Formats: sequence, structure tokens, C-alpha cells
Amino acid sequence: MLCIVSFIVLSILGIFSASNRQLAREALDCVLRRVTLRPCNTGFDEKIKAKILGVVITRSEAGARFLNRHFELLSWVAFFLLLGSSVMAVRGVYLFYVTGSCNGLNNSAFCVFDPTGQNNQVSTLGQTCSLSDNPERGVTLKNVDLSDWPVLNAGASNQIVMVGCYACDYTRKVYPSIRALVQKYRPEFRFGEYQVKEQTDLLTRVGYCVYHADPEKYWAMNDVLFTTEKANLDDPSYVHQLLASLGLDANQIETCASDPQTQTRVEKLLNEIRRTNFPGTPTIFINGVPMVGPKPYRVYAIQLEGLFYWMK
Amino acid sequence: MDLTRVRQDFPFFQKKPDQKTGAYFDNACQTLRPRQVIEAVTRYYQESSACSGRSMHHLAAEVTRQYDQARATLARFLGAAKKEEIVFTRNTTEGINLVAHALDWNAGDVVLLTDKEHNSNLIPWQMLARRAGVELRVVPSRPDNTFDMDAYSRLLDRKVRLVSFGFTSNLDGVTLPAAEIIKKAHQVGALVLLDAAQTAPHQRIHVRALDVDFLALSGHKMLGPSGTGVLYGKYALLEKLQPFQVGGDTVASSTYTTCEFLPPPEKFEAGLQDYAGIIGLGVAAQYLMNLGFDAIQKQEWLLNRALTSQLLEIPGLHLIGPSDPALRGGIVSFFIEGIDSHRIALMLDQMAGVMVRSGQHCVHSWFHARQIAGCVRASMYFYNTLDEVSLLVDSLKKIRKVL
Repeated sequence: MLCIVSFIVLSILGIFSASNRQLAREALDCVLRRVTLRPCNTGFDEKIKAKILGVVITRSEAGARFLNRHFELLSWVAFFLLLGSSVMAVRGVYLFYVTGSCNGLNNSAFCVFDPTGQNNQVSTLGQTCSLSDNPERGVTLKNVDLSDWPVLNAGASNQIVMVGCYACDYTRKVYPSIRALVQKYRPEFRFGEYQVKEQTDLLTRVGYCVYHADPEKYWAMNDVLFTTEKANLDDPSYVHQLLASLGLDANQIETCASDPQTQTRVEKLLNEIRRTNFPGTPTIFINGVPMVGPKPYRVYAIQLEGLFYWMK
Repeated sequence: MDLTRVRQDFPFFQKKPDQKTGAYFDNACQTLRPRQVIEAVTRYYQESSACSGRSMHHLAAEVTRQYDQARATLARFLGAAKKEEIVFTRNTTEGINLVAHALDWNAGDVVLLTDKEHNSNLIPWQMLARRAGVELRVVPSRPDNTFDMDAYSRLLDRKVRLVSFGFTSNLDGVTLPAAEIIKKAHQVGALVLLDAAQTAPHQRIHVRALDVDFLALSGHKMLGPSGTGVLYGKYALLEKLQPFQVGGDTVASSTYTTCEFLPPPEKFEAGLQDYAGIIGLGVAAQYLMNLGFDAIQKQEWLLNRALTSQLLEIPGLHLIGPSDPALRGGIVSFFIEGIDSHRIALMLDQMAGVMVRSGQHCVHSWFHARQIAGCVRASMYFYNTLDEVSLLVDSLKKIRKVL
């Protein structure tokens, strides 16, 4: 068992050191002999055992004696530990590929491939931007009325529901991926704008009015708002110009936005968004599965189209 | 011998604070090199890396001078009659092979060996036996591994063409009574070749006093650069030998069908030589002569006595060779019942940086005949200290306790 454990460990160390590479070759030879039920006669296991004992004996003679007596047993233990950790490591890599986190979807525990936890960061209603370990708990579309949410490709078999805010960094980061996904796979796409950073819902109201005036121009406006400087979002004249540049009657939209009826409908929409129990923006539901934080494109694509999305 | 001063000559001992102290006890394989040798080699490459003897320019003349000087130094080192008796080789093995190929053998000639020859002094003769129908005879050692003069005398007869013995055994450090061996061989008309690889670093050799016919040594075992060696031969015998390897620098002239060989030693030194190494070898020989073999032997015996007496305290440990350390030069070979020798060597290195050799030391035939798997060999040299000996023994005692 020692040679199998050694082969795996030394192969990894061999990436960085030539001497370990040579030992890995010896270990491989030993492994090949063992799997073909021949004795390992290269002296490799003896060499490794002596090297390990040589280190242990300088720290504890009793420890070295114990190790020497139970070396085979301890080799088996090391083998199973290695096997277990290898499975966990492979699982971690798989989970990272599929969910953007080594620990599973929306899990913000430490992941070596995403050490800063970027894939799970959200802009929240509070001041902090970090998540609890299970931020998706309770996040759901059940009993949420989506009928008033702006929609694209209504009735498609797949569905993306996105809760985001124009001024939030993480939403701005993920928005291009979602748009690309929508463009490529044409799912039903619903977008709920929720300003977690700003105290005003002006843009939400403007968005509501634009959508009802011309749905296509609403998505064009979203594309601009998610890419423009954040400072512009607080500037009514910029919004006015933007509406005009989209070929909309800016004055009419602004009148609509300040209409109390609009306010009531937007408030209803915001209430529906709150009913999702979303922890912050972006929160994206793909076919009902909540994904909190800006995941890589592939994670959404896999959720939408399966593991081999890139073949489609 | 001022050990502190001597050790300052060896860069190996100038450790950085974070380096293991350790101890180098693999001197029978290769010795460490003093600064003087390293500088001589480096100087050649930096200042005069040209050919010797071929070109006419001043750089070539300087190399020729240093090359000749090295040959003269080696001649003095061995007590040769003249420097032309010194043939430069790559090592002892090449020297022995040269004799094996260059003597004109007849089927039925006998080559006499001991039972603990290094492969370098065994395999060339096995090949010769196959090639030329030469008979090999092996002189068995006494039970304590010392030379059995009676057995030798019994095997010695007029058919013996060559006696080829390891002067000092790399297995146990035992040195043969060469003078008496040579005298007896000459009485039956046999030539004598001594493998002095393990002798030259430790003892004064005087080839004329011994009256030995051929003697081979290696530079890397006597502070010299690796890839250097010497074959000494009586000039009259060298003249009679056929060339071994031939080519550039071995001939005075040639036509398309004939050639005229140079006299010894040139006719045996084919191709461009390792000038840097040979110059370094000359410096190494001079270093040893300056140090004095009496001082070297005194230090080695001191170390061997200390190591032998302490090792014998370890249960299950068996020494190879005579128990008297004075008979074993700087070598202590041993095995511990039930513990693989490689494991001991690896653990010594790992736990204390103590470097020893393990296995069968290229004397497989001896081990196979006795069904001994292998042994650990600690080979000491004049620069080793009693503290290093203690480090080895203490580490061994720990290993014995644990395994």
C-alpha cells in the first residue's frame, strides 16, 4: 500500500521537484508490480520506509519503534486516508466546476479555487457583503407571483429569474453572463430590479414604465444601465437622455414613473421580490434553483443545459 | 596532523549554519576534494584550456608543461623509475582492462585472483577467459578474510601468467603482503598487477621497492578529480604491450595502411586527454605527499580503533574482516542481523546526515559465496574526526534499538 500512497503523493510533489519525480517513477514501477500480484523488488518501499523512520527517530524513538512495527497497517490507514481525501478533492473540483464553489452550491466555506469567495458575494440590504454558509435556505419562487415581472421569451421551457440591482457591483459583474445565456439558449427570462444600495426606487419605477411602453426597449435600457458608470444612475438628466436615446418619450416615462399608481404597482413587485427571501443581489433562479452571488457563466449554463452544455 | 587546518582545505566542511553537520564516510567510493585540486582544475579551464603536445602556441606549451609535471608528480608519488612509466587512464578499471587486452595471451595461461576482488578486477579476466581461453584461479582468504599465503603458494605454478590482486580490499580494508606475493610470483615467472585503488590514498607505495610489474589507481579515491587514473607499468613491459585503444596521439605517423606507434606512455593515451583532471590529479598526489602517509595512517587507525570498539557494543553486529582495526586501514564493514544494510544507510543519512555505503560494494562474488545479503561500509579518511565517529555510532545504536 505504501507504494500506491507514495506514488500519488510523489507524483504531485514531482511537479515541483526532479528528485521527487524520480522517486515517483520508482513508486510507479512498484505499483505496477503490486497490481500484477508480483512482489515489489525495486527496494522502493524499503527506501521510503527507511527515510520516514530516519525522520521519526530523531523526534521520538518510541514513535519510530511503533512505526516500524506497524508500518504495513499504518500504510493501509494512510492509503484509505489518501483515498478519502482524493475522493473529497475530486468532489471539490467537480462541485467547483458545477456550482462555482468547492463545497456545493451557494456554500461560502473556503474554496481553494475561489479563495476570496467571489462566486458567493452579494450586495445585501445590510452593510455586510458576506453570506452565511447556507444563504439559499428559504430562498424560493414558490408562492411568488411573477406575472408582473418584466419577461423575455415568455413560455420557453427553461426559466431564468434574476433579482438584481443596477448599482450593485456583483449584479453588474454577472449581468453580461446572464444576458449571453439568454441570448444563446433563449430561456424565459424574468428580471426583478431591487435597489439594495440606494434608498430610491426611481429606476425601478422608470423600468416598470419603460417595460410597459416598449418591452424591447426595456431590455436595451437594462443593458445600458448595467454597463454605464455607477455615478450616472443617480443622475436624473442622464436617465432622461438615455430614455430619449432609446427613442422613448422621456417626459411621458417620467410622468408615468411619478404616477402614484405606478408607485403602487412597483411596490407590489418589490413585495413579490421580497417574498423570495433573497439574501441579496444577485440572486438568480434557474428553473427554480436559487443561485446566490455572481457565479461563472458555466455554472448557470450547466444548471440550464446540463453538464455538457458546451456541446449544444 | 592539524585536523582543523586540514579540514579548512575542504570546501565540503565549510557548512552554512542551516546545513546538516553530518559525516562523510564513503571515502572508499570517492573522497572529498581539497580546494587546491578544485582550483587547479578551474584554473585550467579559466586560464589555459588548450591541447597538450599538439599545438605550438604558448598556451599549449603551458598545458604541456603542467601535464608533464603531473606525470612526474605521479611518478614520484609511486616511486617509479621514470615518468614515462605513468600511463594516464580514466580510472583503475581502465588500467586493468588495458593490461587484460594488451598482454599477448596464450590459451592455458593462468590469471590468479583473490576471492574478494572488486568487479573491476574480476570481470575483465572473466571476459579474457572467454576470449582467449585463459584459466582463472581464485585464492581463498583465511576465515578472517586476511590473505592466505599458503593457499596462494599452492595455486602458484609456471602456468600462472599474471597475478592480479586487489592491493587493499574495498570490502574490508585488508592490505595484502604485496612484496612477498610479488616475490613468489616472479619466482615462477608470473607478472603481477596490483589494483591499488584503495591503497594509493592511504599508504605510501613504492613500486620499485615492491618490484611490481603493473599497478592501477584511481584519482577520485585519492582527492583527485573523477575520471582520472593511472596505470603504472615497468617501462620494458609497457614497450612490449600491444596498444589498447588507438587513434590520435598514439602514433608518430601513419599511411593509409600502416602506422608507427609512439613509445609508452603516449601509445596508450589515445585521443584528447582530460588535461584539467590530470593536472588536478597531480595536485592531489602532491597534497597527499605534503601531508605525509604516516600522519594519514595514524589518523585512520585512530578513527578505526574508536569506531571498531564502539561498534562491537551493538548487539547483533558482525564485522567483516579481521577484528584488529590496524589491519583494516580506514574501512569498517559490518552487518546487523535482521536489518537490511540499505535501510541502515538510508536511516543514517536521513537522521544524522551520516553518509555510508551499503550493499555488496561491487564484490558480489564474495557475498554470493557466503550468502550474505550485503553490509554497511564506513570508510574513513584523514579528515574525519572522532566526533563524526561518535555521531555514526550513536545513530546506529538508536537504529538498533528501534528496528
